[in-house]
Amino acid sequence: MLNPLEQTIISLQLRVNGLPVQEDVPAQMTLLEFLRQRLRLTGAKEGCGSGECGACTVLLDGRPVNACLVLAAEANDAEIRTIEGEARDGRLTPLQQAFIEHGAIQCGFCTSGMVLSAQALLERNPHPGREEIVEAIAGHLCRCTGYVQIVEAIESVAGKGS
Amino acid sequence: MIAPLAYTKPRSLAEALELLQIAHSLPLAGGTDLLVELKKSNKRPALLVDLKGIPDLDELALTADRGLRIGANVTMNRLIESGELVSAFPALTDAAMTVGTDQIRNRATVGGNLCHASPSADLAPPLFVLDTQLVVASLQGERRIPISALWQGAKQNTLQPGELIVQIEVPWPGAAAKMAFLKKMRTAGHDLALVNMAGLLDPVQGRCRICIGGCACTPVLLPGTDTLYQESRDPDQLTARLLALAEATIVPIDDVRASARYRREIVAVFLQRLLKLLAVETKGWGRC
Ligand SMILES: Cc1cc2nc3c(=O)[nH]c(=O)nc-3n(C[C@H](O)[C@H](O)[C@H](O)COP(=O)(O)OP(=O)(O)OC[C@H]3O[C@@H](n4cnc5c(N)ncnc54)[C@H](O)[C@@H]3O)c2cc1C
Ligand code: FES
Ligand code: FES
Repeated sequence: MLNPLEQTIISLQLRVNGLPVQEDVPAQMTLLEFLRQRLRLTGAKEGCGSGECGACTVLLDGRPVNACLVLAAEANDAEIRTIEGEARDGRLTPLQQAFIEHGAIQCGFCTSGMVLSAQALLERNPHPGREEIVEAIAGHLCRCTGYVQIVEAIESVAGKGS
Repeated sequence: MIAPLAYTKPRSLAEALELLQIAHSLPLAGGTDLLVELKKSNKRPALLVDLKGIPDLDELALTADRGLRIGANVTMNRLIESGELVSAFPALTDAAMTVGTDQIRNRATVGGNLCHASPSADLAPPLFVLDTQLVVASLQGERRIPISALWQGAKQNTLQPGELIVQIEVPWPGAAAKMAFLKKMRTAGHDLALVNMAGLLDPVQGRCRICIGGCACTPVLLPGTDTLYQESRDPDQLTARLLALAEATIVPIDDVRASARYRREIVAVFLQRLLKLLAVETKGWGRC
């Protein structure tokens, strides 16, 4: 067996936005660094690097996580979704469209994470109430919109019950 | 940036315990405490042993005697999403619900919350008042310790290198027991507790337990409260005696979250609120 102390480079196999990815990464690389630097998927942002702001949120096996607090190595065999995988063939999802229509985006720094957490909620529960919506996005700081438009955007999709 | 290290993910408990013999190895559960520390402190492990591949640590079950067995790797969201638990151990799931954000709760584990040994760990107060036992494993075998024996000081646990918490065993407190959890934060959203508190009151067995977090270097289980309760069940008298006891037992400090004086005020308010909740709150315990 390989000396465990020599396992400093990890051979990763995972799926990102539905596509298989295979890469060797340093063991200390975070999932956020991996997505942004190796895969050039820069939709997830680094705000705080410590789990406070939610700008780095991606879905790991369908659940929102802070990619700044997950090692890329921990995502081996996982299914990762980032904001880049949401629109298909140039068509935005109903939720993304609703964010635009409700003025729920200003600078956009929080948006990728907000959309993914809201999307995960809607996939788990197509008709969430306002409280559930607020709780689902409570791990995302937005310095621009004041949150009301974001909640309304999500509510508008929740109401349609798609 | 995290300093270079090695990473491995064993598939069995035996393998993990072997790996943890290596000098400067550390267990990794959800990483929500550890990764922040690796980024911000001078902790420099040589090897991270990821515990998430060990099936023994994933168990979540009500036992035949209606107790609860929680594998160390069970996440906060798994606790909350189990409907059976929410009705049987509401103070525990209430506490889990207040841990961080949805993203944090998807990763944060029960074992990690306890092993980090923060004085304000939110699962500590409910688990203290429930007489929780921890199953600790090492290459030498297994031992059981009461949860209060895990805290050495603020963010220091009593585990020896090479030891792991495998399971958290919560005995069934009986159908008459009532329980509640309260948490004070700086904001209405998400924050570590500046004070948290859980209480358990069982009029049938004459048990009264109060645990206060964030007001000493460990969570504090108030001593001798069963006796106080058995001596006087008059609500006003009991409240006054518990307030005096709490006041004399806690040793809060000033820090970024609150002043010691504010913490004392909150403890007094919470204690009175908790006792009211325990006297009237009938949801949960009785229904299971
Ligand atoms: C933004 C943010 C908000 C937070 N909010 C809260 C909050 O509101 N309330 C709260 O209580 N906490 C909070 N926390 C702290 C943290 O999320 C919890 O303490 C969490 O439960 C830790 O679990 P983990 O699985 O992530 O532990 P890890 O970070 O993986 O591990 C923590 C420590 O325990 C050790 N360890 C882990 N598992 C075991 C085991 N089975 N046996 C022996 N040692 C082990 C690790 O080596 C490490 O030293 C927050 C953290 C962040 C980043
Ligand atoms: S960058 Fe991850 S939570 Fe802020
Ligand atoms: S739109 Fe700017 S932070 Fe939310």
